[in-house]
Amino acid sequence: MTGNGEFAEFLPAYLAEADELLASAQKDLLAVEEAVRKGQAQPRAVRELFRALHTLKGLSAMVDVEPVVSLAHWMEASLRLADQAGGRLPESSVEPLVEGLRAIELRVRQLGAGKLASPAPANLLERLEALGPQVRDAAPRRARPVTLDAEAAFASRLAPSEREQLEGGLAGGQRALRLDFVPSSERAAKGLNINTVRERVAKLADIVKVLPLSGAAAGGASLAFALLLLTRAEDAVLLDAVGGAPATVRSLEAPAPAEAPPADLGPDGAAGLPGAAVLDEELDEPEVRRGGGLLRVEVSRLDEAMEWLAALVVNRSRLTRAVAALTQAGAPTRELTAILQENGRQLRDLRSAILRLRMVRVGDVLERLPLLVRGLRRATGKAVRLELDVGDAELDKAVADRLLPALVHLVRNAVDHALESPEERQAANKPAEGRVRLTCHARASGQLELTLRDDGRGVDAKAVAKAAGAPVPDSPDALLDLLCRPGLSTRQEATRTSGRGMGMDIVRRIVVEQLGGELRMDTRKGVGTTFTVCVPLTVTLMDAIVFECAGRRYAVAVGTVEELIDVAGVVRPAGADGVGLVERRGAAVPLVSLARLLDAPVDARAAGQDAKALIVRQRGEPVAFAVDRLVGQQEIVLRPLEDPLVRVPGVAGATDLGDGQPTLVLDLGALGAARAGRRKRASRAGERVS
Amino acid sequence: MPEVLVVDDSKVMRDMVVACLRPYPDSRFTQASSGLEAIEQLSLKPYDLLVLDLNMPDIGGIEVVEFVRGQDHLRDLPIIIVTTRGDEASRERALQAGADRFMTKPFTPDSIQGAARALLEKNPAEAPRG
Repeated sequence: MTGNGEFAEFLPAYLAEADELLASAQKDLLAVEEAVRKGQAQPRAVRELFRALHTLKGLSAMVDVEPVVSLAHWMEASLRLADQAGGRLPESSVEPLVEGLRAIELRVRQLGAGKLASPAPANLLERLEALGPQVRDAAPRRARPVTLDAEAAFASRLAPSEREQLEGGLAGGQRALRLDFVPSSERAAKGLNINTVRERVAKLADIVKVLPLSGAAAGGASLAFALLLLTRAEDAVLLDAVGGAPATVRSLEAPAPAEAPPADLGPDGAAGLPGAAVLDEELDEPEVRRGGGLLRVEVSRLDEAMEWLAALVVNRSRLTRAVAALTQAGAPTRELTAILQENGRQLRDLRSAILRLRMVRVGDVLERLPLLVRGLRRATGKAVRLELDVGDAELDKAVADRLLPALVHLVRNAVDHALESPEERQAANKPAEGRVRLTCHARASGQLELTLRDDGRGVDAKAVAKAAGAPVPDSPDALLDLLCRPGLSTRQEATRTSGRGMGMDIVRRIVVEQLGGELRMDTRKGVGTTFTVCVPLTVTLMDAIVFECAGRRYAVAVGTVEELIDVAGVVRPAGADGVGLVERRGAAVPLVSLARLLDAPVDARAAGQDAKALIVRQRGEPVAFAVDRLVGQQEIVLRPLEDPLVRVPGVAGATDLGDGQPTLVLDLGALGAARAGRRKRASRAGERVS
Repeated sequence: MPEVLVVDDSKVMRDMVVACLRPYPDSRFTQASSGLEAIEQLSLKPYDLLVLDLNMPDIGGIEVVEFVRGQDHLRDLPIIIVTTRGDEASRERALQAGADRFMTKPFTPDSIQGAARALLEKNPAEAPRG
């Protein structure tokens, strides 16, 4: 971000809104493509796509992101023409538009990662620029029979695409209606304004256009809004949605010569015209969710809240110890203990409330899958339908971010390997179009279960066994084990889409080892394959230093380690009590043998030249913990060993470093303190460590 | 105390406009997320300045200008139209419909403040209360 520094502070808000605009643009573009393939017009999606890009262009200009401005500019230019042509696009225009969206998305991501947006590819810009003439040439100019009541519909105030949309809806069996709403201060005070009316009506109808009316057209009111709709809802339902009288509803369909003109409804708003029942799916407008008082929060702020909570939890354990000491000394602590227990419950509730804030809708996470499948359809030439049935399930953002690549891989595999070509499928008496279905639901055990089912050829156990050089597995689990062997591929050569890069071994590593979940498979030859993925709804992430001590690996949170030092400068080696002294910048620091603390057998050979010490503050004083060897630093998923409020002192939890072995995550400060306390009790003299 | 109505379907854009105009002494801001909401607001309360995006759902900036100029009590309400590159044709139409000024994204705080000042202080004695 350069140049226009004035608006730099708006960058986070810009990124959030750009994300939303891109998500809606992707949905609209898919709808447009669907229509293009069927040779239909899709005026609404074209218009919405145009608007999203236009808004994105303006915003990007304000924060000075020129590559996005120019990409969006050429895309919207062609969409503007398509809108004027009644929402029609030539098939050849879809691919460049998809690429354009992807290019914009990539640049928004770059900005989000604190990088500069790379310049827009000149070749792509040229192709997008060339779309305009293509769209213009493709626009059909055929005369349609006029079926609209021009006066009621204010035909002169409608764009050609809007008229076409109304006429198309009528031809498709929907009712074209005009619903008039009269705003007032009283109604606004009751929450009934044009925005809420619009939202309510959008659940019942496609809103083609809303026009403000005044004077005679407003029927005596100083202001009225005419909503031009396509719907199957009944008049009474529509009138109810806009607060009843003085709202009116009337048909926009031109009266057939023999019939009486459609009558206005009386002010009591009684239903007059017949209409089909409200369809359930029409109530399911995705837009409505957006309005529902949503708030975007950076994840780092939630993490901050979590850290404060952790501090509270630590304080609570100190309090518990203090109360226990009081009780031991004979003080009357019954009430104090009761308060403390209540406090524990409240902390647990607060913790789950904060964790809930981190939950994202699974449906939103999977938003990109339809576009992925679309790309695969093109790359493989296979006909495939992706069905998502994910309901309202939610998942911790940290889990979702890790899980998505695994799901993407499974979907890719399903299309690329599992589904047969249309010809093969027809030869096997299957529908030419393959089906990939992803369903999910939350289980009571705090886990989310996702099922990915395809109706492809099934996994060929013999071929897998041959590729792996192993005997033919006798159970689905054994077959999955073989499939998850690193580097296994049953394909002779890597296909373009699946490559040979990320195999099932990575999927299993993400699901089982990183997230602590389960992966199962069920496959039937010629019928299809089902993968079931179970993952915990939430995880805790931390940056950790990984080290070896007494032949085992351990991890410790980076934030707790003040410094890493060589133990070359040992002043006094550890004695029988496991405590020595080491020099750091001229000062002596107690050196504790971690192996001894952990009651592990001390291997003299292991503690060689690589020996290091981690310096941790313990009650404000530095203490060095000697370890055998540093392995590195990495982000880990912390799995609590039990309820975090009653944890083992010194052990924060367990994690998996990718080697399949559980690794303990230590809290060195607490570990040292706990041991020091033990020693102190054993011999009242030694206070060297604390 | 000038009452300013800022209309844009992009929340970020509205916030930017308000941030630009905030230094203007004592101004009060109302935000509307659509042209329809703007028209409704204008019917409920008097305003001194309308800052309007061109490209919005249902009815765009031009239609709002046309509607506003058709109302007796809003005939003189100063209107600043915010446009984007590519809106040139619409800009012409908005001008004909009666918009007073244009700001094209990207604009600077100084430029939109200058436009607002010029419109609000044109003739304080006859300041329009739309």
